[in-house]
Amino acid sequence: MGLITREQESCTQELRRLVGKGGYAGAMLTLRDGRPFAQEVRRDVDSGKFAAMSSSLVALGDTVLRELSAGALDHVLVDGAGGKLVITKAPDCSGMLILAVLTLGDMRLGLALGQVEACAVLISDILRPRLAANRD
Amino acid sequence: MRTSAKLAFIGDPNAGKSTCIAAISDIPPVVTDVGCTDDLADVKQTTTAALDYGEVGLGEQGRLLLYGLPCQARFRFMFDVIREGLLGIVLLVDASAPHGLRGLEETLETYVRELREFPFVLAPNKSPGADDALKSRCLDLLRGHRLVAPICTVDARRKADIVRLAELIFLMLDLGGRAPASGDLVWA
Repeated sequence: MGLITREQESCTQELRRLVGKGGYAGAMLTLRDGRPFAQEVRRDVDSGKFAAMSSSLVALGDTVLRELSAGALDHVLVDGAGGKLVITKAPDCSGMLILAVLTLGDMRLGLALGQVEACAVLISDILRPRLAANRD
Repeated sequence: MRTSAKLAFIGDPNAGKSTCIAAISDIPPVVTDVGCTDDLADVKQTTTAALDYGEVGLGEQGRLLLYGLPCQARFRFMFDVIREGLLGIVLLVDASAPHGLRGLEETLETYVRELREFPFVLAPNKSPGADDALKSRCLDLLRGHRLVAPICTVDARRKADIVRLAELIFLMLDLGGRAPASGDLVWA
């Protein structure tokens, strides 16, 4: 797809900033077909599986909403006793990139949703020019 | 009475998993396709990121739920999502693939444990002919992984071919003493 290391490094920095705010176990940016693109994970996690599972959850979310005529996917939330997994698409990137963020157990949901959404916008700002150039 | 049972379709890219489900499903298949972002894009535009889903009515025996799984090893965890209630597996092969049976080898390496656990049928699709040689090579690969299964060439677009695969798995369940509690499953 022609996305080069410079964009990956910039995205990794954004993920690092997000995780550095506190309350997060890790963040993964994955391509829509489940391959890792950038990550900042502070837990022993199989990054390949994390990326693939995030892609599957978004694909299932898209499909469920389509089958139920419930509009476009905003985010997927998997709420567990030990943490919350928030997954969203980087906006205006043709669904190419998916941001998956795992919180710690005591993280407030509203705060996490806001910060993850803001991070997705910043990542989109990084990648949009490159994606547009690839399309042209 | 059994209310539902599952059949899984696995195989290399373009082997015909989604086509099989579309051929026999009573409902429009539910798909989770996404655009490819790697070399697979040279072969096909989209790939399954979670699963394909279809259903077949089996009369009084309930329903057979059809699941097509992604071809890439990174999605192997999806098998565990559908494992409960699974009757058997259809292992499809793209017999026309330019790289020969490399896709089958990769599928066998990914799913060897599951293929030892469940009855399965190996089904070369899009065979250009010379079936005996193809089946012989498939058999060698199965033996290499200490697996045994019927090999049945199909056209994944033909409902009769896919029904035959399901019937073979029902027969294996019956002969293997692992028949569902309701007794012999038959295609309604």
